Amino acid sequence: MLVTQEFTVKVDGNTILNDLTLEYGPGIHVIMGPNGVGKSTFAHALMGNPNYDTEGAVEFYGKDLLAMETYERARAGLFISFQTPTPIEGLSNFQFIRQAMVSLNKNNNIKENLSNFRQSATDLGLGSEWDKKQLNLEASGGEKKKNELIQLEMLDPKLAILDEPDSGLDIDAIKILVEKLRAFVDKGDKTLIIVSHYAELITKLSPDTLTILDKQGNAKQTEDIQVAYDILENGFNG
Amino acid sequence: MTDLNSIQENKYTAGFETITDSESFEPGLSEDIVKKLSALKNEPEWVTEFRLKAFAHLQTIKEPTWANVNYNPIDYQALSYYSAPKYRNKEDIPQEILDTFEKLGVPLHERDSLLGIENKDENIIPTVAVDAVFDSVSIATTFQEELKKQGIIFCSISEAIQEHSELVKEYLGSVIPSKDNYFACLNSAVFTDGTFCYIPKGVKCPMELNTYFRINARNTGQFERTLIIADADSYVSYLEGCTAPAYDENTLHAAVVELVTHDRAEIKYSTVQNWYPGDENGVGGVLNFVTKRGLCKGESSKISWTQVETGSAVTWKYPSCILRGDNSVGEFYSVAVTKGKQQADTGTKMLHVGKNTKSTIISKGISFGDSSNTYRGQVRIGKTATNSRNYTQCDSLMLDNSKAITIPVVSQHNNSSIVEHEASAGKLSEEALYYLQSRGLDEENAVSLVVNGFCKDVFQKLPLEFAAEANQLLNVTLEGAVG
Repeated sequence: MLVTQEFTVKVDGNTILNDLTLEYGPGIHVIMGPNGVGKSTFAHALMGNPNYDTEGAVEFYGKDLLAMETYERARAGLFISFQTPTPIEGLSNFQFIRQAMVSLNKNNNIKENLSNFRQSATDLGLGSEWDKKQLNLEASGGEKKKNELIQLEMLDPKLAILDEPDSGLDIDAIKILVEKLRAFVDKGDKTLIIVSHYAELITKLSPDTLTILDKQGNAKQTEDIQVAYDILENGFNG
Repeated sequence: MTDLNSIQENKYTAGFETITDSESFEPGLSEDIVKKLSALKNEPEWVTEFRLKAFAHLQTIKEPTWANVNYNPIDYQALSYYSAPKYRNKEDIPQEILDTFEKLGVPLHERDSLLGIENKDENIIPTVAVDAVFDSVSIATTFQEELKKQGIIFCSISEAIQEHSELVKEYLGSVIPSKDNYFACLNSAVFTDGTFCYIPKGVKCPMELNTYFRINARNTGQFERTLIIADADSYVSYLEGCTAPAYDENTLHAAVVELVTHDRAEIKYSTVQNWYPGDENGVGGVLNFVTKRGLCKGESSKISWTQVETGSAVTWKYPSCILRGDNSVGEFYSVAVTKGKQQADTGTKMLHVGKNTKSTIISKGISFGDSSNTYRGQVRIGKTATNSRNYTQCDSLMLDNSKAITIPVVSQHNNSSIVEHEASAGKLSEEALYYLQSRGLDEENAVSLVVNGFCKDVFQKLPLEFAAEANQLLNVTLEGAVG
């Protein structure tokens, strides 16, 4: 459960997001909005990216999210996927997952974790050597997206914000993505917030709420999902 | 400030002092001291001569000033040139000294090396033999008998001078003449102990040979002297580790290490240097002024230096290779980490003389705080070194106000050789740290993963047991460097 109250995000004094009061409970939620309105900013500000100044309040499973360091937010169960995940030389994908799982106090059985990791990579067509590849280095945009998805599966957060998880993926991969996202939510008590423009993804996931961000940095949250389909058909100004 | 200091000192886990009865020379450096030292060690005349010649030359030269380091002038007359714990024989080593090495994780009893192996089969060959040096003397050398069966000599240099005088005489100073530089000259006059290894023709040394240097006495210089000879078609992997107590005064460590490989022989020399780095304000710490050089004397021979440098207040060190034999190979892999007020000026020289010689240099410098970290390298491809190759890669990673400087010098005197150089310098990426933290890693762990990844190419060159130790040491070093 994530509740924002008058949540404002600024970069260098410029307001990007303005007084957002939103609520995300277990289930699937979609955030839409024209390019450049701060959809990614929303995710990163919640994760505690040091480039953003925040005001207002955010409650995350009863805790004051804004008072926490980034790693504490992750440990509290928050996960965001990155549009362009950062490459790290000399750090293998699995080594990274292992370290993250230790930090998050997850299953510490290396054998099991490696086997799950490989399964997940195979599902996504990443090849059998994926665990040894260096993190986000020499990977295509689509592969990096898939790697973020593996992390979602392995790190098993309470709430995940996925920033355009479908971009760079082909039709087949999107099918698997939808299955994996469904499976994640079906574990129960999981909250998934998807930032997307992609009609098919939204249709297939049949979200519980829709949040629309506008260019002034305001947000509107509704349970009327029809709005989403109207936007997908007619655009934000239609 | 007191708090910061105590934290810093706690991080350096080897900073304890051992209280033991010792026998030391009065401070001062003179011809008499050199003679006294030689007499005490009951050395043959040629060694005394070797020392006295060096001492005479020392009077005519000055400390080098070209390195990118600053330190208070060393008062050579205020140092003691010999300090050794008092005991009668090797069966009578004081408990506190045994405890010291145990605390440092250095196995002095041969059976200890086998601990952890469940099946204590007598035929199991241990993986590491140790020579432990405490201040000016070697305390114990393990598995000498075992090694002797294959004709391998592994002992302290003092013992070698007594037992294998001709062999030592042939090679001592043959790679690093005593006139080479100020610190090598000083060492040649007053060297105390170190390790001697000889691997006979065709023998692959079955275990890693490890020397552990421990400085304990205050105001005492440590002048280690190591000599490793690999005869034709032989192989040895040698490891060197070192620590010192956290004293407020600087401690001088001026070592000379000489390696010689004959035809098709290979020496793999690895160092994890963890001398006391001084406190947060740059008080105390070891002055590590070391001359290390290997001579690939025979054809197709190979010398490989791998170093992980995390300690010392000031490091001045350029493990080098003279590639004299045709088709010989020289390698230098280095990770140098500086934090606080530490200063490192380190790198290598690759001197190509023989035909088809090949050298590789990979240097990773990581600097934190107010430290400075200089890579200084020289690649010289001589006229006779036709069809030779060098590949150099130096990368630096910086944080805070630290400085990283790269000074590569290349000179090529024939047209058939190829020299390649790649370099990168960058700040530790905030973005990478944020990414890792978003997955639950705290800042220290995040920095450690990034730095470990940065060093991976070099760590992979270390022997397995050592790689784990280096890794752990790096992580301890990074603790407290961040924030």
